[in-house]
Amino acid sequence: MTSTAPATPPEATPAPARPTPLSLARMFVGVALSGIGGGLPAHTRRALTSRGWMTEEAFAETFTLAQLTPGPNAVNLAAMVGARLAGGLGALASVLGVLTPGLLAMVAASALTLEQPGGLPAALQSALRGAACAALAVLLTAALPVVRVGWRVRGGPTVTLAAFLALGVLRLDLLPVLLVLVGAGLLIHRPGGRHA
Amino acid sequence: MPDLWEIFLVFARLGLISFGGTNVAELERALVLHHGWIDARTLASGFALGQLMPGPNMLAVTHYGYAAAGPSGALAATLGFYGPTALLSAAAALLWQRHSAHPWALALRNALLPFGGGVMLAGALVLARTSVTSWPAALLTAAAFLLLWRTRVNSAAVVLGAAAVGALLGL
Repeated sequence: MTSTAPATPPEATPAPARPTPLSLARMFVGVALSGIGGGLPAHTRRALTSRGWMTEEAFAETFTLAQLTPGPNAVNLAAMVGARLAGGLGALASVLGVLTPGLLAMVAASALTLEQPGGLPAALQSALRGAACAALAVLLTAALPVVRVGWRVRGGPTVTLAAFLALGVLRLDLLPVLLVLVGAGLLIHRPGGRHA
Repeated sequence: MPDLWEIFLVFARLGLISFGGTNVAELERALVLHHGWIDARTLASGFALGQLMPGPNMLAVTHYGYAAAGPSGALAATLGFYGPTALLSAAAALLWQRHSAHPWALALRNALLPFGGGVMLAGALVLARTSVTSWPAALLTAAAFLLLWRTRVNSAAVVLGAAAVGALLGL
């Protein structure tokens, strides 16, 4: 992903093999299981290219696009990969595949941590607090590359700082902030406007 | 207890307005401040649990749904959060194959990227307010950050390690 490269995607290269929805679901279950602690896009890439289902170029383009659509990136990526390779059913199978292992694990973990009568033992509470500190660090390491890419866009630093202040410090409602700041960004980058 | 359809809708909205990853700030606004389904502590611990689960790390939403309305709440939250955006993504993938060279597509990309960065920083600030409440917690956060940023160590291992440190220190 670069900040300035205009979208000149290679024409969708036909994948050498056409996976079925079921084989996509199986692949994404594997991706989810190997993706404990993140790195899902990397696992997705490896799984796809090793099977010859998608070229590197087609994957890079799909990955960039998944960053742009709203919502959780890894699942969007699964939906997009599935749609490209096997249509609507492929998208459905991929999303279910990538979600199911974690969904089951999280329901079990939630039952354990939330349904203790009288709350969690003190040691476990301390452990969760420690884990929360590390999770914050994970969020920061995920945020910094995004910030860095956005920073290089014309007007980017202003938009990033304004979004941070409006949402994090002032706690304003997201939708108006989104409309104003993305609207401003569209104005700055409108086609036919001044080019950097 | 909130009804499942309401949970679905609230999480669908949250999914659709997360750009570039997660939108913790808005999660807190909606779930803690507005609906009161979870408290700030559950927000932080659920986010931490999400890092340990196989698959996408925003499975924290499953935890929040569970906290709001039990197992069926967990399912409603998960389907709401991931379903509509996945549908949109699949449609976008098919559209993009045809229209990615359009100038407005590039403009939208350049408008969304810096906004997404700000959204993620805001989320970090919101989590920090709950998690970093003492000097040991601040040090632990900094150490975890350096480890993740400087090395290729698996983030689940870092979260588990921090949990062990937290239990030892009695954070």
